[in-house]
Amino acid sequence: MNPFKPFSFSPRQAFRVWQREVSVYKYIYKSTIISNLMDPLIYLVALGFGLGAYVNRMQGLPYIQFIAPGLIASSVMNAASYETTINTFVRIHFDRVYEAMMATPVTVEDIVVGEMMWAMTRSTIYATVMLGVVTALGLTHSWYAIFVPFLGAMGGMMFAILGLTYTSFLKSIDQSNFFFTLLITPLFLFSGVFYPLDALPEIVKTIAFLSPLYHLVEIIRPLIIGQIGYGVILHLVWMIVFILLFVAIPVNLLRKKLVK
Amino acid sequence: MNPFTAEHPVVARGLRKTFESTEAVRGIDFDVLHGECFGFLGPNGAGKTTTMRMIGCVSPLTSGSLKVFGLDTGKSMREIKQRLGVVPQEANLDEELPVEENLTVYARFFNVPSNVAAARAREQLDFMELTEKRMAKVSELSGGMRRRLLISRAMMNEPDLLILDEPTTGLDPQARHLVWDKLFELKRRGVTQIVSTHYMDEAHELCDRVAIMDQGRIIDEGAPQDLIQKHIGREVLEVRVSEPMRSQILAFSLSMVKGYDSYRDLIVLYADEAERILDKIKNSDIKTDYTLVRRSSLEDVFLKLTGRRLTE
Repeated sequence: MNPFKPFSFSPRQAFRVWQREVSVYKYIYKSTIISNLMDPLIYLVALGFGLGAYVNRMQGLPYIQFIAPGLIASSVMNAASYETTINTFVRIHFDRVYEAMMATPVTVEDIVVGEMMWAMTRSTIYATVMLGVVTALGLTHSWYAIFVPFLGAMGGMMFAILGLTYTSFLKSIDQSNFFFTLLITPLFLFSGVFYPLDALPEIVKTIAFLSPLYHLVEIIRPLIIGQIGYGVILHLVWMIVFILLFVAIPVNLLRKKLVK
Repeated sequence: MNPFTAEHPVVARGLRKTFESTEAVRGIDFDVLHGECFGFLGPNGAGKTTTMRMIGCVSPLTSGSLKVFGLDTGKSMREIKQRLGVVPQEANLDEELPVEENLTVYARFFNVPSNVAAARAREQLDFMELTEKRMAKVSELSGGMRRRLLISRAMMNEPDLLILDEPTTGLDPQARHLVWDKLFELKRRGVTQIVSTHYMDEAHELCDRVAIMDQGRIIDEGAPQDLIQKHIGREVLEVRVSEPMRSQILAFSLSMVKGYDSYRDLIVLYADEAERILDKIKNSDIKTDYTLVRRSSLEDVFLKLTGRRLTE
């Protein structure tokens, strides 16, 4: 098959794919929101209050204030990553949801874009709920925070691209663990969520600059604390370029995997 | 539509599909006519499913031409799929949604308005005798119910062509007959059907015409009764006899048979009047272990054309 054959994409059909996920989510959102947000909340409480009692200030902020925006960003990363690895794998191989969709006027392109839209939606939901929690704890200091859900969507897109790309190579569901242990966990620890990157050796700092999570953290934190500088624009541009450069990759890979 | 000017729903010429090193379909020609039930018969691996996947626009052709509703499957897949109903071999129902939503969510992919989809879903559940299960999880359904739900789902866009890949494999006899009843009913309503099966009774019962496939080729094609008449005749005589006697039987019966097949100690003679051959055997001094005269069936045609040995 010619891998460069033109995309057959219909926004309306991609929306139908997205709608299917919404229909399913109606049945599971209660249980999943709580279990998925437990993780960042535990970090917030354990490290924010626990470690925060011993750490004086970080970049002039109380420790819990420093990590709260980073944990919003990491909940965005987790939401999109789970959705596009384990859940997508199940839809391809176990439930064969995509096979059923492909018998209808839906193409692989529509499916991949619909799933990206859905990962963005889930990330946006988590970003919004986490923002609510952070605000309830009195840690939001600026009206700019209303842009956080929008960044949740953009962050969701970046991690959907990564997750779907990885899933297109997956042979068994066990291999999805590598995505988390080799990519998501290091990103979580080396993207400026818990400490400024200045603390790291130069080489690690350079690598961290390639982390999508780092840029997301560096935008969400100023929005929450209300200290916006030109740096925010730089990080935003980085994210846009990332999305534009890589968005076609999972579409191509999954087409090769699903069309036989 | 004028049946003389309108193109047949499916027209395939020189259809070929190769997967890496295996040739699944090796250049086949066939037409499916308006309102008929067309069957693909063949052992596992004959290329039936691959052919149906190409008609369903989910598997691109390696070469040849394939038109569905007069449209090219490579160029107009959305338009074609909009008018198709597909019942896959293995149930791929949406396990995350209850029964009724399986139908309404699926209808959305065809952009059926939601009120229309809701009405159709109720109608389909009623038709397939699943109304009681409308709120049930898919995992709670029996095999027969799943198959009926799959057919219901394929009907949600009111297709002009229904493609069914082994619609009754794995079902118990009651469930099979219920599915057949429903497929008959759909045919009566004018829905063109393509069915693949390796059950000969199913093909005979459902199909107006069948194409017998083996190793990626169509070996013969026609109405089941015509194929039986052409290859077998009215009756079949089965004789189990020891090896040396075999040639003796064949010697005096050859003038009366349309053909024969032998496999280990079994001779199968195809004839219009098998009873007369049996009389001759009985009057001779040949000792047989077992004899049976029966009506010929599509299975005989199938075994004659594709051989009695396992191909896998």
